[in-house]
Amino acid sequence: MNLLSDIEPFMLRAFAVAVVMGPLCALLGVFVTARRMAFFSDTIAHGALAGIGLGFLLGFEDPTWPMVLFSLLVAAAILWLKEHTDLLTDTIMALLLSGSVAFGIIVLSLLKNRRGELHRYLFGDILSVGPDDVWLAVVLCGAIGVWLFAKLSPLALLTASEDLAHVCGVRTRWLNYAFVLVLTVVVSLSIRLLGIILVTSLVVIPPAAARNLARNLRQQLILSLIIGLFGGAAGTVASYHWDIPCGPAIVMACIAVFIGSLLVSKLWLNKPVKAA
Amino acid sequence: MNQPSHTTCSHSAADIAVSVRDLRVTLGGQAILRGVNLHLHRGQLVALIGPNGSGKTTLLRAIVGLQKPDSGEVRLFGESNLQKALPRVGYVPQRLALDRSFILSVREFLALRLRETQHWFWHRHRDTDDRLRAGMAELGAESLLDRPIAALSGGQLQRVLIVFALLRNPDLLLLDEPTAGVDTPGEQDFYETIAEVHRRHKLTVVLVSHDLSMVHRHASWVYALNGVVCCEGSPEHVMNADSLKEAYGLNVTPYHHHHNHSHGPGGGAAQ
Repeated sequence: MNLLSDIEPFMLRAFAVAVVMGPLCALLGVFVTARRMAFFSDTIAHGALAGIGLGFLLGFEDPTWPMVLFSLLVAAAILWLKEHTDLLTDTIMALLLSGSVAFGIIVLSLLKNRRGELHRYLFGDILSVGPDDVWLAVVLCGAIGVWLFAKLSPLALLTASEDLAHVCGVRTRWLNYAFVLVLTVVVSLSIRLLGIILVTSLVVIPPAAARNLARNLRQQLILSLIIGLFGGAAGTVASYHWDIPCGPAIVMACIAVFIGSLLVSKLWLNKPVKAA
Repeated sequence: MNQPSHTTCSHSAADIAVSVRDLRVTLGGQAILRGVNLHLHRGQLVALIGPNGSGKTTLLRAIVGLQKPDSGEVRLFGESNLQKALPRVGYVPQRLALDRSFILSVREFLALRLRETQHWFWHRHRDTDDRLRAGMAELGAESLLDRPIAALSGGQLQRVLIVFALLRNPDLLLLDEPTAGVDTPGEQDFYETIAEVHRRHKLTVVLVSHDLSMVHRHASWVYALNGVVCCEGSPEHVMNADSLKEAYGLNVTPYHHHHNHSHGPGGGAAQ
């Protein structure tokens, strides 16, 4: 208790958000990486910048909801353009990514008193994590975590093959939409902590490190969750200790685990890079 | 020999596994299925033959609801709501492309068919495990249980997909060119296995195939497809029918005719 009371409250709040968002992003990330949606996650994160600018423009003091809503809009736009045009998915995403960044920056530069906000949202700022954000993160992560575990089998089946999932009775269309919705909400809410530029790392690095060590999906899910938890916790502690920015510290903690996992897989596990 | 009777009049509705009525599917502006009618009786091993692009895969996909038809109707076991009938169906798609980055093991993949997250994620049940093992043993693939599914060879993957399809004891098994990834010497073996599965499980099997000698040996009923059903009947009947040659001939014609002249009746659209 004594130890906790010495730590500043904003740090505790950042720690709390990091240890719930870290594992959740990492768990979602297993499916995101396997479904080649890493760039998708990056695009909706950048979409948030337009939402932030719009939120301030409309007079919101806390632009969380405009941010989430605009990310959802970008996600919906990706899906719609994918279905209704002949454009390739990465073309669509590059277009929306740069479009929303440009829009967000223009709006923020027009709002003279909000120019400092850009840096905070691009790179994350734990000082901006308020008590309400902690509750939001905990409740939301709880709900999404329960949903994720309830849908683990259908999601795994969907990732393996949409056709097979359909024949096995999975409502593939709805599950796809639900997954995008959940990913968008989680990514845009993690922006506070990690910033727009780094947020995708929490979705990509833990599953990648886990992939180096795992021999099946179960192992990858469990390892990814542990690495996400470790990255979130170690990053915030390091940030406090050495007075370095929190987001980059979390990313570097995850990168360290990734390098370790790569060494272990090459030196001890002898896992073939590609099965013959 | 006249066209054998195959309509519902001589059989009760309960005897029909799949009925397709006037099914039309257009893909990319091209009419792939132009009014397909068929009624598959339960317990048969039905072969679906036809040239490339004749709509065999599209027909199979429409039967399981993966392809929405422009018009027409599919009923599985008399049920027009396909979603309801799907638990009774096993489906093996053609050349399933699995991403190597997805590390699903064969054991986990099979458990997904049983929708038992409990089994593959939380705690392994002996009963479920025995069931998976027995299924794999039947197809001679027991040793593959712990391999990542994306690392299997074509033939191994097909066997695993058949085990997957059979796990919930379906009444209907649909196989889309099951030997597509299998090497030529293994093909004969593979068809024997499917025929054996058909006998042992007493189910209805629909098989898309190019291999006419296989069809002759194992199928109890054959449909020749080319946008429409050109010909159907026993293998002997279909193999000797002029309409079969016509069905294949129609598809060959465009490869030789690049100049613009109109063909006589029956030369263009099939039927």
